[in-house]
Amino acid sequence: MKTQKKGGAVKWILITICVIFLAVFLILPLIYILSTAFRDGISSYIKAVTDEYAVKAALLTLKATFFAVVINTIFGLFASWCICKFTFRGKKVLSTFIDLPVTVSPIIAGLIYILTFGRQSFLYPILDDMGIQIIFAVPGIILATIFVTFPFISRELIPVLTAQGTDEEEAAALMGANAFTIFKNITFPHIKWALLYGIVLCAARAMGEFGAVSVLSGHLRGKTNTLPLYIELLYQGYDFTGAFASSSILMIFAIIVLILRVILEQRGKKERG
Amino acid sequence: MEIQNSSSIELRGINKSFGSFQASKDINLTIQGGRLVALLGPSGSGKTTILRMIAGLEQPDSGEILIDGKVVNDVPGSERGIGFVFQSYALFRYMTVYDNIAFGLRVKRVPKKEVDSRVKELLKLIGCEGLEKRYPGQLSGGQRQRVAFARALAPNPRILLLDEPFAAIDAKIRLELRSWLREMITRLGITSIFVTHDQNEAIEVADDIIVTNEGRIEQSGSAAELYSSPRTPFVVKFIGNSVLVDNYYEFRSFSRAEADTVGVIRPEFVEIYKTSEDIRYSRSADEGYVRDIIFRGSSIEVKVDIHGNLISAIRSINDAPLEIGEKVWVFVYRMFLIGKDGVRLVENSALRENSIVI
Ligand SMILES: Nc1ncnc2c1ncn2[C@@H]1O[C@H](COP(=O)(O)OP(=O)(O)OP(=O)(O)O)[C@@H](O)[C@H]1O
Ligand SMILES: [Mg+2]
Repeated sequence: MKTQKKGGAVKWILITICVIFLAVFLILPLIYILSTAFRDGISSYIKAVTDEYAVKAALLTLKATFFAVVINTIFGLFASWCICKFTFRGKKVLSTFIDLPVTVSPIIAGLIYILTFGRQSFLYPILDDMGIQIIFAVPGIILATIFVTFPFISRELIPVLTAQGTDEEEAAALMGANAFTIFKNITFPHIKWALLYGIVLCAARAMGEFGAVSVLSGHLRGKTNTLPLYIELLYQGYDFTGAFASSSILMIFAIIVLILRVILEQRGKKERG
Repeated sequence: MEIQNSSSIELRGINKSFGSFQASKDINLTIQGGRLVALLGPSGSGKTTILRMIAGLEQPDSGEILIDGKVVNDVPGSERGIGFVFQSYALFRYMTVYDNIAFGLRVKRVPKKEVDSRVKELLKLIGCEGLEKRYPGQLSGGQRQRVAFARALAPNPRILLLDEPFAAIDAKIRLELRSWLREMITRLGITSIFVTHDQNEAIEVADDIIVTNEGRIEQSGSAAELYSSPRTPFVVKFIGNSVLVDNYYEFRSFSRAEADTVGVIRPEFVEIYKTSEDIRYSRSADEGYVRDIIFRGSSIEVKVDIHGNLISAIRSINDAPLEIGEKVWVFVYRMFLIGKDGVRLVENSALRENSIVI
């Protein structure tokens, strides 16, 4: 009885700390964003979010996110598949490299691409001849977004695939199933929820990316400005209503992702349990 | 159910290493079509490796695998006509029992109607009718094993490979499933190899037993052969309930051979007499003390201390009861001696003298 009471006290103290922490660091700023966005009334909010450049920035963000998600899904599937289902030399090195973007600062990632594809690079003339511009253009932004988000999907998949082992695949292969059938009927049902969850995380991270994109974008309004960059620009120009209104768009994206995430987690749990 | 043609299997000089570890060393074996063979050996002795190489899931480093006299080293596993039951069954957990069994037929593009009739037939064979809509997670261990068996059989393989088919099942159902499996395989007449590390299982289920140890095949033959004429020290020790004795020459009527020879005594080699009982070869019997008495249901196992060795012996339920600590006479009929030049069976010399007298 005594310990239970004590446990109860500890529980409530911890819960209170968490709630206060969340309130100070998350809820308050969110409220502040919204209140600032609506400070000058609904009409100026609407004007800010329907501003040509704001819409363009939002579309660019969605575009970069889309490409990052698609490419990273494909890459993540291949990478985790080969890490989990085969044994080969350098497997450890490969899986360490996949996690690299998590540890490297996005700014550095951006600079790496500048060095690789910029004017001083030997690749530049070749790409220029082909009419491909990467730095200070949309491809650069997509590249940067892919770089910072590429571990997300494989990191979700690797544990699930490892736990599954290779028996079922081997059994199917012995019965004459081809690689595609095996993937479709045996591997995919198993990793479905983990994969979707990874995609959601990847999308969330891709939408908010600032550092690497900032280095590569060149900040051309309406051309290479993603939402986070556009917000920064407005903010620097003392357009607080605009900045916070645009932030609220990003916030809506984030909330959609959050809801998806909760739904996926529930579904995945139900199917597994 | 139709009788399937069954294939013969032969391995010639197979070697296989994983990195620096050699899992198979010069494996040679021949299995006639229709036989039910056990691969018996301790854990890590390379049983699964042999099975996986036959199935084409693993490539040997050297040597040849022949099925029906044809070298199949370069034939993919799916074209070798093999059904494989995995140690953990490896049922497809996101497919129903029906879909699991149908899988092998569907990938071979068998018409729907045929698939259906074959699956129904197999479900009946394994006695799992009515379970076709369940998922593997909703089956008992025994049912899972039966479904795995049916799934492996569905495409009409000519060879069936089973890796420790009873390992994941509790003791009571295991006994039931053993005889079930033996009956099934005998009825189908399909060449089968099953892996086990339980000698009772091997003896009970298999026609022939192949004993593996440290990547090598020690000996193969019927259970009776392995019992009566083990050829290697490992087989002597591994088969039967063997006890090793270093000081075998201290037993009466057994004389010392070469220096580093070891004796092996099995329960069926000894007889225990109470001191009050009549004993035929009294001069050749050793004095022992009862250390442990274990009730085995149909018999009683007695552990007796003789010259510092704890020897197992079997006594009938009908014999006069013994007590722990009691002094008894122990007559050792024979023992195996493991020397430098192999294994030999040595009879108690009293028996020889006696036969001369008669
Ligand atoms: N893929 C592999 N990579 C490395 N070593 C392996 C591999 N497969 C098997 N081995 C090794 O080869 C040896 C024989 O393995 P195998 O699985 O054939 O043994 P087993 O007789 O089936 O044992 P158990 O009864 O425990 O299943 C073991 O020491 C094992 O560690
Ligand atoms: Mg094994």
